[in-house]
Amino acid sequence: MLEIKDLHVKVDGKEILKGITLSVGTGEVHAIMGPNGSGKSTLSYVLSGREGYEITKGEILYKGKDLRAMEIEERAAAGVFLAFQYPIEIPGVTTMTFLKTALNAQRKARGEEELDAVKFLRLVREKAGPLNVSEDMLKRPLNVGFSGGEKKRAEILQMALLEPSLAVLDETDSGLDIDALKVVSDGVNALRSPDRSMIVITHYQRLLNHIVPDKVHVLSAGRIVRTGGKELAHELEETGYADIVEA
Amino acid sequence: MTANIEEQYLEAFGALAPQGDPAWLLARRRMARDIFAAAGFPHRRVEAWRYTDLRRALAKDGYVPAQRFDGPLAYDAETVGPGAAAFGDVERHMLVCVNGFFRPDLSSADLPEGVSVKPLSEAVKETGFEEFLTTDDNLHPINALNSALMQDGLVIRVDAGKDAGKPLHMVHVTTSSGASAAHMRHVIALGKGAKLSLLETHLGQGGAGYLANHVTETHLGEGAALTHIKLQDEAKDALHLAANNLRLSADAKYYGFVLALGARLSRHETDAVFKGEGAHADMHGALALRGKQLGDISTYVDHAVPGCSSNAHVKSVLDEEATGVFQGCVLVAKDAQKTDGRQLSNALLLSRDAGMNAKPELEIYADDVQCAHGSTIGELDETALFYLRSRGIDEATARSLLIRAFLDEVLETIPLDGVKQDIGSQIDVWFRASALAGS
Repeated sequence: MLEIKDLHVKVDGKEILKGITLSVGTGEVHAIMGPNGSGKSTLSYVLSGREGYEITKGEILYKGKDLRAMEIEERAAAGVFLAFQYPIEIPGVTTMTFLKTALNAQRKARGEEELDAVKFLRLVREKAGPLNVSEDMLKRPLNVGFSGGEKKRAEILQMALLEPSLAVLDETDSGLDIDALKVVSDGVNALRSPDRSMIVITHYQRLLNHIVPDKVHVLSAGRIVRTGGKELAHELEETGYADIVEA
Repeated sequence: MTANIEEQYLEAFGALAPQGDPAWLLARRRMARDIFAAAGFPHRRVEAWRYTDLRRALAKDGYVPAQRFDGPLAYDAETVGPGAAAFGDVERHMLVCVNGFFRPDLSSADLPEGVSVKPLSEAVKETGFEEFLTTDDNLHPINALNSALMQDGLVIRVDAGKDAGKPLHMVHVTTSSGASAAHMRHVIALGKGAKLSLLETHLGQGGAGYLANHVTETHLGEGAALTHIKLQDEAKDALHLAANNLRLSADAKYYGFVLALGARLSRHETDAVFKGEGAHADMHGALALRGKQLGDISTYVDHAVPGCSSNAHVKSVLDEEATGVFQGCVLVAKDAQKTDGRQLSNALLLSRDAGMNAKPELEIYADDVQCAHGSTIGELDETALFYLRSRGIDEATARSLLIRAFLDEVLETIPLDGVKQDIGSQIDVWFRASALAGS
């Protein structure tokens, strides 16, 4: 699904990622952990194509294609999805309008038929129910006045609707209490499938109790310093990052 | 020595000797002409026109009076621009003016009882009509110019207690291709408790560098309510100068909205005076401009009496080398306690070369008032744009969604649903024109 080879990335002239190599197979869930400032969010932005992130070396292949050559919206239509750490508030655009515009833009880009209002509404209701996303939230401007938990649930609803092949979850657990974490994790787990790969970026191990990864990578100062199974996350919880980072 | 542009202008209009004007009007015209000749066209050094240098914009062209046109009018998008479609699905009475002259033959005759429309030239013959013409010729020389040269206009009256029902739609079209100028004076007078919705569309044939000058005298009786929505989509080389002189009696309500898309230079000014307590005026607007266009929405509100409220909110979207102007002044008299006066200008600059000049001012002599004024100038939020694109929405659509979202706050205040939709559609047309030019 995703092959990253010796990826070097500069932001504002400063090298943030210093040679990342990572391979995520189809249907796998990989966790990327690491201290603040290690480059976790940079990696998520590079994958989704955000401007200002300059790839100075290395390559990213997604389903065998060079991701670097694709525009942000092309990547989305091809199945790359980023759940934002801080979902953006867009006053004036209702959540419903936004979801419909996004889904139909992707369908159109893939040469599929756009959904009419009735079919779309049925689909949204089906996906929104399990995530506790109310009709009221759907009618409100996107993320405006949403609580931390509502914002994250809205992100997962977008993921459920857009059905990406590669989902990158950037600190999806931040700002969530235990109950909200459960709802969001259940939503993510429901989307696990043999056809869908996920990269779960997190600072803490607790999210990984709910979303159990196949592999765990530790990112530090722009490099992957350790890779292991799900037990690595538990080890980190015990010892903290200091030991590994210094090793 | 060559004559200055004011002398040249008046000279060109000299042949326009008004026929059958009553003595009071002749005297007013003479006085106004002198005021204008002395003050000249407003320019940068006149504070109220500091950012809208009319004199400079006028300097190149030798204007001649607009000619009456009595032929069939092509009122379609191809001839007069996409604004022709606006309000097409709204049930309304049409009042059509071409080149500055009322065309009763193109207008609705079946006005409801208690609503009357007369051309200015007839109305001025009525005894006491001068009391409607309260615009101060000394305030701006352009008002004086209008008083000196006004040749036609619509006088709309709604009797006390009458609800006019369906909106009246004033359509102003300029068909002349040269540098012609038309000076129109309108009167909107609502009796006690009367209600009216008034729509205005200003259009012109492409390529014409005409000058359209409108002064509107609006008198709202006690408890009267006027909803006044205007679409200004003049030809791209035109100049559009509109002054709305608003007088509100006690408990009167005014809702005004202007969308300015057209003209090389445009100014929409509202001068509101509260004459009785408990009245309210909304003076909202939006500018969507590109190229080298300049658009000016200015408000001057005189809270002369206590207990009135006013709200002016202008949103500007400026692309390429366009310039937006908002000048606002709220004056609260010494005795005007419990005044609530608000002014806000928000501008979105889509290009490095676009600019906004906003100068909201307060002049308060009372001590128990609530007044607020503010101004913001910003760019499209790159993070929001990234967020939308990361969901598969293409850049042009994402930009237009964000721009519409920016404008929606003020569009949402429009109280007539069909009209609100049409104003929104006009903005969408504006986006598409940009997308086409960019491709």
